[in-house]
Amino acid sequence: MPASPTRADRDAPESRTPLRSIDFLILLMLARSGDRHGYGIMQDVAEHTSGSIELEAGSLYRTIRRLQDDRLLEESNRRPAADADDERRRYYRLTPFGKRVVAAEAARLRRLVRIAESARILAPEPAR
Amino acid sequence: MTEFVRTKPRGMHERVYRALLRLYPSDFRQEFGDAMTEFFHDRLTRARAAHPIVAPLLLWPHVLLDFARNALPARFDSLFRAVRRLRKKVAAARTPTIRDSRRKDWMLTTVLQDMRYAARGLTSKPAFSAIVLATLTLGIGATVAIFSVVNGILLRPLPYSEPRRLMLIEHMDPYGTVSEPEFADYRSQARSLEKIAAIAYSSANLTGGDEEPERVRAARVSDGFFQILGVPTQVGRYFTTDEDKPGAATVIILSYGLWQRRYAADSSIIGKDVVINGTPRTVVGVMPSRFDYPSSSIDMWVPLRLNYDSLWTRNNHYLTVIARRAPNVTFASSIAELNAIGRNWTREYPDTYFPGKPLQVKAAEFEDALVGKSKPYLFALLGAVAFVLLIACVNVANLLLARGEGRRKELAVRTALGASRVRIARQVLTESALYALVGGTLGVLLAWQGVRFLVAMAPSTIPRLADVSVDLPVLLFSLVLSLGTGFLFGLVPALKAAPDSSSETLKESGKAGGQQGRGITRLRRVLVVAEIALATITLSAAGLMLRSFANVQSVDLGFRPENILTMRVSLPARQYPGDRAVQLYQSVLDRVRGIAGVRSAATVGELPVRDGWSSWSILIDGAPMASVAASPAAMPMQVSPGFFETMGIQLARGRVFTDADRNGAPNVVIVNETMEKKLWPGKSAIGGTVKMLNPTSPWATVVGVVKDVREGGFLVEPPPAMYFPHAQSGLSAYYWPTDMNLVIRTQGDPLSIVSAVRRIIRELEPAAPLARIQTMDDVVAASVSSRLFSTQLLAGFAVLALLLAGIGIYGVISYGVTQRRFEIGLRIALGAQRGGVLRLIVGEGVRLAAVGLAIGIAGAFAVTRSMRALFVGVGSGDPRTLLAVIVAIGIVAMLASWLPARRATVVDPIGAMRAE
Repeated sequence: MPASPTRADRDAPESRTPLRSIDFLILLMLARSGDRHGYGIMQDVAEHTSGSIELEAGSLYRTIRRLQDDRLLEESNRRPAADADDERRRYYRLTPFGKRVVAAEAARLRRLVRIAESARILAPEPAR
Repeated sequence: MTEFVRTKPRGMHERVYRALLRLYPSDFRQEFGDAMTEFFHDRLTRARAAHPIVAPLLLWPHVLLDFARNALPARFDSLFRAVRRLRKKVAAARTPTIRDSRRKDWMLTTVLQDMRYAARGLTSKPAFSAIVLATLTLGIGATVAIFSVVNGILLRPLPYSEPRRLMLIEHMDPYGTVSEPEFADYRSQARSLEKIAAIAYSSANLTGGDEEPERVRAARVSDGFFQILGVPTQVGRYFTTDEDKPGAATVIILSYGLWQRRYAADSSIIGKDVVINGTPRTVVGVMPSRFDYPSSSIDMWVPLRLNYDSLWTRNNHYLTVIARRAPNVTFASSIAELNAIGRNWTREYPDTYFPGKPLQVKAAEFEDALVGKSKPYLFALLGAVAFVLLIACVNVANLLLARGEGRRKELAVRTALGASRVRIARQVLTESALYALVGGTLGVLLAWQGVRFLVAMAPSTIPRLADVSVDLPVLLFSLVLSLGTGFLFGLVPALKAAPDSSSETLKESGKAGGQQGRGITRLRRVLVVAEIALATITLSAAGLMLRSFANVQSVDLGFRPENILTMRVSLPARQYPGDRAVQLYQSVLDRVRGIAGVRSAATVGELPVRDGWSSWSILIDGAPMASVAASPAAMPMQVSPGFFETMGIQLARGRVFTDADRNGAPNVVIVNETMEKKLWPGKSAIGGTVKMLNPTSPWATVVGVVKDVREGGFLVEPPPAMYFPHAQSGLSAYYWPTDMNLVIRTQGDPLSIVSAVRRIIRELEPAAPLARIQTMDDVVAASVSSRLFSTQLLAGFAVLALLLAGIGIYGVISYGVTQRRFEIGLRIALGAQRGGVLRLIVGEGVRLAAVGLAIGIAGAFAVTRSMRALFVGVGSGDPRTLLAVIVAIGIVAMLASWLPARRATVVDPIGAMRAE
């Protein structure tokens, strides 16, 4: 039987991977574009999945609440210029821990892609 | 409560969206409500860019789907979050070592803790628990018992292979069943049917061995019958195709019941001969016990052996036809094909089919044919029992609320010590779940006994009774039902259990007062009103069923069934050719009339109410035959002299039969009033003549007209009927029957003379079996047994509902009296009359009942409307029934509030006020 995780284990970013794909997408978008509000996240996700994933408010905010509880993202106080703003919007950003988890997940995926490439399932792409 | 919306909604869409947001838990709403509204607003704006009206509308399906997917889960999220927070709090209070070792079992520990706590509550208040458990056991037990019946009869698939492809084929009136040439045509022409088979009924004398001769019922079945149903034999094999050919070796297949009863379940019976009607027949198979098609009273199956080269006439409809549709053929398309075949006949045989009454197929899916009639009764019962369960839930919720009141201080202390509302709600829910599971277990035990009782009490006319049992699906249903019940009655107390403000409660002196206490009292009243409404609906339905039953029974059958013994005697046909049977029956009757206590005795071919009838084509008043299609039809019956007197059938005009109406004397006939009205409209039938549609039958003269007898039972209009003297029936009514029913009117108990009659028949013809020994009262009762049975059950449930509602009223009023002791004491001290106090309290109960009644009567209209098919001679809004229901509820409400009110009037004012 594996030993129960210690506090140190729990806080290691690898302990949170693999991430659910939707969690990863949201975190990734935040990592890319900094502070975003819910609708912006939805647009980013839709854009980067060629519109195949269009988040609805309920799913999005439930996920946000969960990620918040997991200390992966937090509400940001920084707002863009006041006229583009609406006080009802909430802005989110990654926590430092969230950044490390996204990185860990991306690294994990890269390792998997490497395996796929070496098994000739996927043609290796030249590094850009 | 702070509301999340800080600005006004912008337009209709947003307003609806905000309303829907209430589906989310309040903490979620407060955190994200505005952001979600904004999100929605952004989507709306973008959509409007595409099309100002249509595009926003197209948004809604996505939005609604999103709500469906997330609103409820978000509630669970909130619950888990709360639990997690609490867990952190608890963990923080503990030393690190304990916390680490306990962390994993935390969930389990609190559940166990709750369970322990609940169990302690259960046992520490045995009287309270006993009442709660008894209520739940009754409610769940009754529901599970009725569900078992519904499951066995309606839900469980029929025991045939691919039952959905099976159908029963008959014809609409006046053709009824199917004739031989019609069957042959269907068999050769219908492409939509994979296989088709015909069934005819007969009975036979089974003799041989040391056993008594026995009258057995046989189904004569054509080739393919067993293959269509696809149930394998217990032992042996099906009939072969060759065995269905005329002149083939005579073979039979035994029913499981006959095999057990007469042959001691001996498998070596296969290949042996048994003697049927004096002829040896070889047993080739035995069917298993669950196979009882076409009826559970069938003892054996024999090949029909139709001779397709010389079939009986086309107008002789007597075959029941079953078929298996070809794969992928729908029921409707199959009927369309059969109807098309029928239309050809109408064209080809205009002599046979009534002009203007084309032949119409009346087919039914197998399941409908077997259990369709029971459906409305069963659903009515299930509905009634569900109402009883709901009322039981309300009562238990009320009890828990009342106890919750008593525990408010305890819970307030717990809250003050750090228990969250969720934690307390969960504990109360655990308690109700425990009650529900214990009640459910007891309920299943009750249902298990109840089902045995129901099956034993149920009349055999209810189909598939053998399939009724408490099985795995029923147990699963019970589990879900119990948990659902626990949730239902536990939810309200759970939500109300945790005090809004613990300090407030702690400050209260514990007497009536405080916002919370008043809210709960109001809630309990609402619950009582709800259960009175439910009881009103159940009572109305039961009342209408009772009135229907009374209406059915008040129908005049046309004879007096009391004090009549009946039995069927079957003479071995070969030994009684011609009118020898008549002579034997005459000697039987002569000697039966000599038994002490017998007033009169007679014989009849088909017993009214029980045996049913078939109509035969006839000619009247010497007119030659135009065509079969144009001929009238009536039901022929062979009776002995004394039949009308014995049965108590009244003579309207003319005379009854005498011994002089013997073979060789002028042929005579007696007709009923319906036949007279139909065939001799406006004049007397006496002197008219009747001839069966048969070249050899003589014309018989009508000598009497008798009152109508309801041959098919209470609810079937009497058919045109004609009675021939048994002695002449060989000529005037086709044949001299060897099977007759004795009807014997006695002075005392009809069953007391059975052995004397049996002895007489043994002496005169030892080979003649006696069957169906019944009083005529029993015959009549059996014809309405299903209706009586369901009416009784429904009435039982209604009484239970009324009783539970009464207990509910009692509980609330009684609790109110306890709470208001001070106020009542004060009133009395200030000079209020005790009668006035009584009126005050009873008035409160009656007011609750009145509100419940008003709602219930509206509900009763709606519910009983859907049961209209079950009612006879009474509409769903029958004022007399409603009045009776109002009176019943009123009396119960008054009684239930009078008992506690009386307690109030003896309040000692000084004591009551000092106690505060």
